[in-house]
Amino acid sequence: MEQEKLLLKVEDMYKSFGITKALKGVSLSLRRGQILGLIGENGSGKSTLTSIVAAIQKADAGKIYLEGELCEFQNSVEANEKGVCMILQEKGTFDALTVAKNIFVGKESMFCKGGVLNNRAMNEAAQKALNAVGADYIKAAAPLASLNFEDRKLVEVARAMYLNPKILIIDETTTALSRNGRDILYQIMKRMKGEGRSVIFISHDIDELMEVCDTLTILRDGVYIDTLEKEQFDAALVRRLMVGREVSEDYYRSDTQSCKNEEVVLRMEHVTAKELKDVSFELHRGEILGFGGLADCGMHILGSVAYGNMEPDLGKVTAGDGTPIRSPKEAMNRRIAYISKNRDQESLMVASSIRDNICSASYAKLAKGPFIWEKAQNEFVDKWAGVLEVKMQGPGQYVMELSGGNKQKVALAKWLGFGADIFILDCPTRGIDIGVKSNIYALMQELRSQNKSIILISEELPEVIGMSDRTIILKDGRISGEFVREQNLTETMLIDYMV
Amino acid sequence: MEKIKANATKVDFQKIFPFLGLAAVLIFFGIFSGGRLFTAQNMKAILNDGLYIIVGASGYAFLFAMGILDFSIGANMAVSCAVACLAAKVNPWLALPAALLTGMLISGILGLVHVKAHVDAFITTLAGQFILNGLVLIVLDNSVQQAPLEMLKWFTLPLKLMILIGCLGAGYMMLEHGVYGKTGKLIGSCPEAARQTGINVGRYKLTAFVIMGALVGLLGFVSLIRTGTASSKTGSTLMMNVLNAALLGGLPMSGGPTTKFRGVIVGSLTMAFLTSGMTIMGYNVNTQQIVKGLIFLIAISISFDRKNMKVIK
Repeated sequence: MEQEKLLLKVEDMYKSFGITKALKGVSLSLRRGQILGLIGENGSGKSTLTSIVAAIQKADAGKIYLEGELCEFQNSVEANEKGVCMILQEKGTFDALTVAKNIFVGKESMFCKGGVLNNRAMNEAAQKALNAVGADYIKAAAPLASLNFEDRKLVEVARAMYLNPKILIIDETTTALSRNGRDILYQIMKRMKGEGRSVIFISHDIDELMEVCDTLTILRDGVYIDTLEKEQFDAALVRRLMVGREVSEDYYRSDTQSCKNEEVVLRMEHVTAKELKDVSFELHRGEILGFGGLADCGMHILGSVAYGNMEPDLGKVTAGDGTPIRSPKEAMNRRIAYISKNRDQESLMVASSIRDNICSASYAKLAKGPFIWEKAQNEFVDKWAGVLEVKMQGPGQYVMELSGGNKQKVALAKWLGFGADIFILDCPTRGIDIGVKSNIYALMQELRSQNKSIILISEELPEVIGMSDRTIILKDGRISGEFVREQNLTETMLIDYMV
Repeated sequence: MEKIKANATKVDFQKIFPFLGLAAVLIFFGIFSGGRLFTAQNMKAILNDGLYIIVGASGYAFLFAMGILDFSIGANMAVSCAVACLAAKVNPWLALPAALLTGMLISGILGLVHVKAHVDAFITTLAGQFILNGLVLIVLDNSVQQAPLEMLKWFTLPLKLMILIGCLGAGYMMLEHGVYGKTGKLIGSCPEAARQTGINVGRYKLTAFVIMGALVGLLGFVSLIRTGTASSKTGSTLMMNVLNAALLGGLPMSGGPTTKFRGVIVGSLTMAFLTSGMTIMGYNVNTQQIVKGLIFLIAISISFDRKNMKVIK
């Protein structure tokens, strides 16, 4: 009986990357019609485990049984055919192709007659696949490049669902999705469950996991820790199992004081740029100003414009003393720092060393004449990497080898060392585990107490509410509400202004 | 992650590969020339060949660090040499400033087109090469121009050594310890992140072009006082030699932090010995060109390129 219900069984999985042991004998089982949540800090092996199941990577040792049969998939195409599909954390689509061609990539021959591709038939089939997942507003014939990040993810979902998988693996996709996108995904999960098919769902968001999953499996440092059933779910317990020690429940600010300083340090006036329409605001000294909204509400562009990184079509950005900010250089002259949502592409040189990255904003300060000596750089790195407790092998280690949390710490160390007074942080905790998250929140409070100002842009409302002195909600590029910090400000109150 | 591991071994290979190449060339030509490669006479020839390659590669390293390829340097050298020759006919002392200014002006214009009009550097300089190939014939009036004979006396050993040591010293200090070189490597590593760190990427790129131009102009002048003539063939082997030197030295095509000046030195020496070795063995220029073209292909296929590397969390 038990045997019959079992859909997938993973036994004693081992995997190493060089000296790093990503998986150390992990076992896992998945029943029919089960939604299994997989949770653990960065580097705990969640993604490695699931990508081995989907045959994207090969294990060093270990067995996988699908419906009781030992299987050794050679590649992900074979896994797809056997009913195991994975939606990746990273972008897995082709910008230059249409939505339909992305959905049927590698399967074009289905629509070929005598070597000629029947585009119309393909588009129709693609539209059906999109409608089936509830993303009917995405047009199959549209070029993928015209879609935003969220809709691209949904295209990937449609592609996976078209294969009618027995097991769907979703790797941290929801961090890129707004409420609407998440709901679509939850609907799909529920439907699969109803049809006796199963889902493995990876997320950093404990509340989300507890809401949608039947079972939670916790990994830590490549080791299986525990599996909890629905009735055992408890956020504090999960957190403790993940981290291996007690983590305080409220890592956001505990005070309800809002900033009383009226001195303006940054001012945006009637800015229109891309999605952003006629937005004005003032940032005060010693204030954390939060921006929330849906993924495409324009808040990410707002951060970029405020840093002078993107020129607005209309309006202007000025520092407190009225000097205009039109380029990153001018922003840095006013001691403004910016960490983009696309940290690895825009805020860090991941192919360079930790030393180069942390020093990069401070060359003027570190240089002796036209030269910079290694010693001055290493002292600088020791100091600021030390303040932020960056886990590294040495200052010469390449940033790309670091985990997401440590990369973010390097980016923060760069700007702390630079001596910024205003921090524009776009999704500073995106894809980062709890331990580092709470470090970043503590750092933000510390900066606030030093009378520095922070613009916090985030897609996670609890974070914005929890940290900000003032919260501004954007909707379709316009400011739809502004809220001063107070005790009873809740997520549900703000969501009405977002959608 | 597997790729990172693969690339880690590739990085180590990248470190020793240049030295292996140099050793292979020395051993091969040392044996097959019956030791003639190392005679005093040939060492002098190697110094002469090596001078062009080292000076050229010293400047090229800065472009390389930012991920820029310049295909115009050979043609630029021909034009600089031709202009210097015309200037020398007026007054020999005008030759050097004329060569330097011409080189800087040409590279500067190409750099501006690349930076301001956002045309790919590869395309810009390739077009530049075609234009300059035509321009040199016009400047030379379709013939070979003769410089005043007295200028041949200027080509002395102290001058050669001075240029050589000056370029190597300045190049090393700037690339490995200078703000300029370090900033250039940041740009090569990730241009967008460099820009968001307040670096004026366009200005740095333009400066690299102008420095390259000055060095190419200098080489035009050196060529003039060495041969006493300026022709459309002047500098025709420079581009291939310098590009090969950079690649054999293990410099990554995509630029960035692994651009090392020791690679410039080792690669230049390899190419200098290779050229002289082939000359001693009696290969003519055409055969040499075929060999160098092949080496270029091989060097590119095994060179370390970050663009092939997938960054994995």
